[in-house]
Amino acid sequence: MMNLLFDLRYYVLYPSFFNSVIYPGLIFTAILLLTTIWFERKAAARVQMRVGPYYASKRLGGFMQLIADAVKFVFSEVIIPEGVNPTLFALAPVLAVAMSFIPLSIIPVSVIPPSGSVFSIYFRDFYDPNIGMGVLTGLFVQYNMLLILAIESMYPVFVIFVAWVTNNRFAIVGAVRESYLSVSYDVLLIMATLSMSLEYHTLDLAKIAQSGIPGILANPVAAIVFFIAMLMGSARFPFEIAEAETELVLGAYTEYSGFLFVLTMAGSYVGNLVYALVFTDMFLWGWYPLSGFPGALLTGLKASIVVFFSVFLRAVYGRYRIDQALRGGWKYLLPLTFVSLFIGLVVGYIWIP
Amino acid sequence: MTDQAEELMKSGGMEIDVIPVSGELNVGPQHPGSGHLRIYVRLNGDIIEEAQVEPGYVHRAVEKLGENRNYIHLIPLVERPAILDSIHMNLGYIMAVEKILGVDVPDRAQYLRSFAAEISRIASHLYGMGILAIFIGHSTGFMWGFGDREVWVQILEALTGARITNSYVIPGGVRRDLTPTIVEMTRKAVTYMRRKIKDWENIFLNNPNVKARLQDVGIMTREQAIEWGAVGPNLRGSGVYYDVRKVEPYAAYSRLDFEIPVYKEGDGYARTLVRFEEIQQSLNILEQIIRDIPEGQILSDRFFKQIPPTRLKKWWEGQRRVVMPGYYASFRPPKGEAVTRVEAGRGELLYYVVSDGSAKPYRLRMITPSYRSIYVMQNLLKGVRYADLVSIYGSLDYFPPEADR
Amino acid sequence: MDSIKIKEYKKGDSSLNLVTGHLKAVGTGVKYFVKPQRITLKYPEESLSLPTGYRGMIRLYKDVCIGCTLCAMVCPADAMKMATDQGKKFPTINYGRCVFCGFCVDICPVDALKETGVHDAAFSSRRELFFSPDKFNQDFDQPPVELLVKKVKAVIDEEKGIKYVPDTD
Repeated sequence: MMNLLFDLRYYVLYPSFFNSVIYPGLIFTAILLLTTIWFERKAAARVQMRVGPYYASKRLGGFMQLIADAVKFVFSEVIIPEGVNPTLFALAPVLAVAMSFIPLSIIPVSVIPPSGSVFSIYFRDFYDPNIGMGVLTGLFVQYNMLLILAIESMYPVFVIFVAWVTNNRFAIVGAVRESYLSVSYDVLLIMATLSMSLEYHTLDLAKIAQSGIPGILANPVAAIVFFIAMLMGSARFPFEIAEAETELVLGAYTEYSGFLFVLTMAGSYVGNLVYALVFTDMFLWGWYPLSGFPGALLTGLKASIVVFFSVFLRAVYGRYRIDQALRGGWKYLLPLTFVSLFIGLVVGYIWIP
Repeated sequence: MTDQAEELMKSGGMEIDVIPVSGELNVGPQHPGSGHLRIYVRLNGDIIEEAQVEPGYVHRAVEKLGENRNYIHLIPLVERPAILDSIHMNLGYIMAVEKILGVDVPDRAQYLRSFAAEISRIASHLYGMGILAIFIGHSTGFMWGFGDREVWVQILEALTGARITNSYVIPGGVRRDLTPTIVEMTRKAVTYMRRKIKDWENIFLNNPNVKARLQDVGIMTREQAIEWGAVGPNLRGSGVYYDVRKVEPYAAYSRLDFEIPVYKEGDGYARTLVRFEEIQQSLNILEQIIRDIPEGQILSDRFFKQIPPTRLKKWWEGQRRVVMPGYYASFRPPKGEAVTRVEAGRGELLYYVVSDGSAKPYRLRMITPSYRSIYVMQNLLKGVRYADLVSIYGSLDYFPPEADR
Repeated sequence: MDSIKIKEYKKGDSSLNLVTGHLKAVGTGVKYFVKPQRITLKYPEESLSLPTGYRGMIRLYKDVCIGCTLCAMVCPADAMKMATDQGKKFPTINYGRCVFCGFCVDICPVDALKETGVHDAAFSSRRELFFSPDKFNQDFDQPPVELLVKKVKAVIDEEKGIKYVPDTD
């Protein structure tokens, strides 16, 4: 009996399972997703002279409203428009969401000390030679920085796919906007990441976080650029251009209803969380100085705050026009990334071993 | 093969087609950014080649209905096209009827008309600001516009007995008098609004995001504004000093001191600034009215004398409201016609009433300010980016039911 | 006419202004997030009592009415019509048509009609919207005010815009 329990614990806590399914993978993300949407609605309501969700559960400040909404969406009819391929129509949002979830299993959320942690038994399997410690991540790759961004940059392709299968003009216009945007924010993300990797002489997020030098102090310019690119990449205000309700109804997701609509909604929030976790590891110490499970919690907390702040901006901004966003990206932020690259080279040479 | 490719695409397929979408979009009548209106948009890439503004989805035939109703019956009808600005709709019509009847309106009633009209203007501008804000995605501006409007609607409710369909102005005067409670409410509301405007500036007007969306968008030059027949804040945003309150003062405006904000640029931001400063001017006017309002009757002597003395005692002396003498039920004005103009929230509102001596008007013509914006909008939408459609629409403060009548 | 002043706004912000503009906007947002200014009325837990003179549903005092038909004549929506009851004319009202302009109340020479403060009556069929003189003669059932429901009135406040304070009477 004890053996069975021990085996079970071994497999549940095995980082490849734990990270991709429990934390920060599926389950944690689903809960955080609901909390984020709840926070978005409540925060906007506070600024906007309103109360927001309230009656679904008065003690929890209306948190249950989100569960109720989700249940309602799941059971409502999925309307498939005429003249589309039903298989692709149903598959497209599923693929998009699946794609946005994948990076969560590669992001390091904590380190595993050789002993003293529940994860210590996996120390050897997830050993990171760069920091001389284990890394709590679903799949340890030395070049995880690049891999995460590479996978996440696939997401817009699926948005375009979604728009293409729905055969709706508003969706197509939304997809075109998304494709223009994705090109510009991906460059910014990669340049910001590159300047950090040059600064810390590594492509391993774990090493940056474990170095104990906060990236936001070492290279504030990169942090600003990364944050703005994150807002662009996850369709947050003021860059909610591809969805732009008053212009494009709902952009690429115009035709979706019911559960498929929930999936399309989820995609951008998951993307936001992925970028927020990378932002936390890269600029906000990540788990440092904790390790093991508390460290992972700390990373999650910081990332949640970043996500919450980025959804809070809905209450402050309208949306930019697509050409303004692109001009901002290419004309002002791209030169800034060169500055951050330069800062990265200099500071990395002087300060960071 | 190569020949064919060259035929199909210039430069043999090597050139990237930079125009991704070319085609038509039906913005409305079922669209989150259209209102009761269809805008048929022909796109070339992101640029609108042509936009046809198609009103008429909420047409109620107010003018035709007007020929079949008594003069008094028309009061609630004419304010329906723009219920958020109903005092002005009502006021213009009543002024035309009064011209035909040849009634003099007492001073206090004139001041009260201006008082209600300015509150209505503030409420209308806040509504327009809210719609503009949500059109460019700024949800806080939307909620604030409607939330702050509530303050003014409460004052109208206390004054007239209804929130929006006020039916406050009647031939010869107004229906209810200002009470000390309402004066106190207005004082507080003016203080509140002045305070809130500072936050409005921070989060909306001076927000770089909003500036980016409105500046240099939908530029209408002075000449174009005159040629296209723009009215109200849209005209004044293009550098034309024209306001019916100054040009042809009605109600108590000749005795009130206020400025007309005029901006030169003619773009969406200038129009928004004009509305914003008009709110501030209206606050000043309200303060002046509270200070200067003369004592006296609120209904013309001619009708006031017809009210039975017992009722007069109960209503006028008791509750400061006049009741209607039986005359109103079906009066026959002399033959004649009248044209009146008022400066409604969205601009100049014109009424033309013809009386043939019967109890019903022979003709009622109303030219509403939004009606004049249709042509302006259609012209402004040519050659702008698709995303600017909503910001031009919002900055013109176009209200479909008002245009359709 | 007074002096004509045509203003111009300053275009093209410097990058410093841009940054302060963004900071001010976010700052204002945060200010309201920390100290919200809410004007939502929590209906039905709080029920708004309307100001005196509110033009709500109308009731008839049958014993006062003289059957002069002025109310029916002035009614803009033809909601009020006269019906003969025991040889006497009385007004009837159809609330499906009434626009609550209150003209009938204002014009009644003997004050037989009265505006009540009730505005949230509910009907289950269209036929119920029609009030015969006898039904019209009765007071409206006020919505049940139990301990749960708080009667509040809207007060304009210099800081919060609208405040709801408990209605004492």
